Amino acid sequence: MVPLEHVLVLASLLFLVGAACVVARRNLLMIIIGVEVMLNAAGLALVGGSLYWRNLDGQALVVFILAVAAAEVSVGLALVVLAHRRRRSLNPDDFKMLGGSR
Amino acid sequence: MKGLVLIMLLAPLAGAALNALAGSRLGRNGVRASACAAVLIALAAAAGALILSHGRIQDFTLWSWIKVGSFQAAMDVHYDSLAGLMAMMVTFVGSVIHLYSASFMREDQGLVRYYVYLNLFTFFMLVVTLADNLAFLYLGWEGMGFCSYALIGFWYGDNEKASAGRKAFLYTRIGDIAFGVVLALCFVWFDDLTITGINAQAAGLSHGAALALGLLLFWAAAGKSAQLPLSVWLPDAMAGPSPVSALIHAATMVTAGVYLLMRLFPVLQASPEVMWLLAAVGALTALWAALAALAQRDIKRVLAYSTLSQVGYMFLAVGASDIVAGMFHLLSHAFFKSLLFLAAGCVIQALDEEHDIFRMGGLQRKMPQVGMLFFIGALCLSAFPLLGGFFSKDRILLAAFLEPGLSYKLFWAAGFLAALLTPLYTFRAYFVAFGPRKAGSEVKPSRGTPRFMTAVLWPLALLALMDGLLNLPMGPGKHWLARFFSNVPGARIELPASGGMELAMALVSAVGVLAALGLAVWLYRGRAAESAEKGWRQALAQALYLDRLQLSLLVRPYRAVSNFLWREVDDGGLDLGFTTLAQGLGIVSRGWAAWSGGRLTVYLFSVLLALAAVVVLLTFAWFA
Repeated sequence: MVPLEHVLVLASLLFLVGAACVVARRNLLMIIIGVEVMLNAAGLALVGGSLYWRNLDGQALVVFILAVAAAEVSVGLALVVLAHRRRRSLNPDDFKMLGGSR
Repeated sequence: MKGLVLIMLLAPLAGAALNALAGSRLGRNGVRASACAAVLIALAAAAGALILSHGRIQDFTLWSWIKVGSFQAAMDVHYDSLAGLMAMMVTFVGSVIHLYSASFMREDQGLVRYYVYLNLFTFFMLVVTLADNLAFLYLGWEGMGFCSYALIGFWYGDNEKASAGRKAFLYTRIGDIAFGVVLALCFVWFDDLTITGINAQAAGLSHGAALALGLLLFWAAAGKSAQLPLSVWLPDAMAGPSPVSALIHAATMVTAGVYLLMRLFPVLQASPEVMWLLAAVGALTALWAALAALAQRDIKRVLAYSTLSQVGYMFLAVGASDIVAGMFHLLSHAFFKSLLFLAAGCVIQALDEEHDIFRMGGLQRKMPQVGMLFFIGALCLSAFPLLGGFFSKDRILLAAFLEPGLSYKLFWAAGFLAALLTPLYTFRAYFVAFGPRKAGSEVKPSRGTPRFMTAVLWPLALLALMDGLLNLPMGPGKHWLARFFSNVPGARIELPASGGMELAMALVSAVGVLAALGLAVWLYRGRAAESAEKGWRQALAQALYLDRLQLSLLVRPYRAVSNFLWREVDDGGLDLGFTTLAQGLGIVSRGWAAWSGGRLTVYLFSVLLALAAVVVLLTFAWFA
């Protein structure tokens, strides 16, 4: 059986990769993908925990996360498409209308 | 009686208000007519009040003004012979000057402003004259100062004239501070600000209190009356129009200081040191100003210094505890000095603003009327025997001579010397400006003088000639003025001198004046130029450097200190500190602002950082 530590290290690494993708890439799509990776990293840690303690709560939570991730991706991708139509750009720094007119 | 006083006070105020509010709609003639009518009404009321009062004292309240606890300052009037005659003089000279100005200012654009201030000045002067309550009097006192400032700088487009106005305002303000302190002290010590109340309690004052009150009163009066050491503003005040100089800086406002001293005479009398100081300052100013007048080239400055000198005599009279003589001289001085100023105004206007007497000459033939009027004024100012100024100046000198102590003899000597100098400087101005000269060095007036302007001066000239009759030392009307003043506290009807001594003094001064006149004729008749201003002549022309002395002793150090405080302490210290602080804060804020500039990537990065921080904290908490 795979020890819990291995699962947790893998989940952490995945989470960091996702976070780095969110912060470093200058593209809205890549940010959404990064967020997905981070969500799945969290799901992996939950599954690992559930297996270790023989408890189904963790796996139930993962199902929830999958549902939320699906909803998030559908809304997020729609927004990205809309944003691209408006600005012809996917660079997140082009969208700073909330900062006031400067 | 109360109605008459009300009319006297309110007519000039109403005139000022009318012209201030609707002056531009009335038209030039309307403005002139309403302003002159206001003062003439006041004159009629003053005459009526003087006749009706029959020399009785009348006290009444016009309006209860301030009432706090036991303290009250009402607008009340103390009408005695002193106030009555002073009001008469103010309104009379004021009327003549208002009428004269109607012609004098015929081409000036600021006619409305001029008459508003002139009317307002008359009102404030009457307040000072009549007021019983010192707070009410202070209102008039300060109002006069303001009008004087506004009229000296009347032609404010000329920077020199505007700054002369400021100088006069500041110098008189230095004196007014002392008056403010007097008000406070009277409130603390007497719980009463009325002149009658203060005079009644003056005898019970302790020595120190009387000294303090007397010194403060002296300082206040010296500021208003331009006595040493606060004299230097008056010669500069000649920047105003000539009628203004005649009304404010010769006849009324500069004598208001002396008038205040006469009103509060019992307070001064309570302290011999103050009396001595008054006499000393008066005598010194009389002599100093007479010397300075000897070397002036500007005709109005000659007259200004002679005003200082004559007001010095009035101080000497008060110091020699003879307020009758002081008031007598005040009246005659008001007549002849305003006459001189108004005649000088005619000359200055006819010669296109020429003030230098050495660039005049031969005017007696070109402007005979004006020359005659100036001559009469000059004779009275020189105290020519049996004319107006003679009796009053004589009585002052006699009073000073009769006071005990060697110092009063010295004051008398200074006064006598100044009396000998008076004909010299007066007739120097007359002969150089009006006397005949060699052909070619005479000037021709570039425009005529309206006949009305000289015509209104004749009543003044007549009064200047005749006002010696008010208080003849002998004969049928003997001491009429002194007897009239018998209801004024501290007034002495007769001086304790034998008839022979009085006669001898009169003869001595008459001979002295005539001799000085002869000298003036010999020195200055036909004189067309004076040697260059060097040595003693320059010292006299600069009035013995008093102005420069005050400038270097007080003004320059003050300015240096202010400059240091401004440049080094304020700009260099405080401001620099605050500016640096503000700049530092600005840099920090701009940093913060960039952080929240609406950039999504920055936000995301911040969230990640915060998350990392939370994780780190949790880790520490776990292991700690």
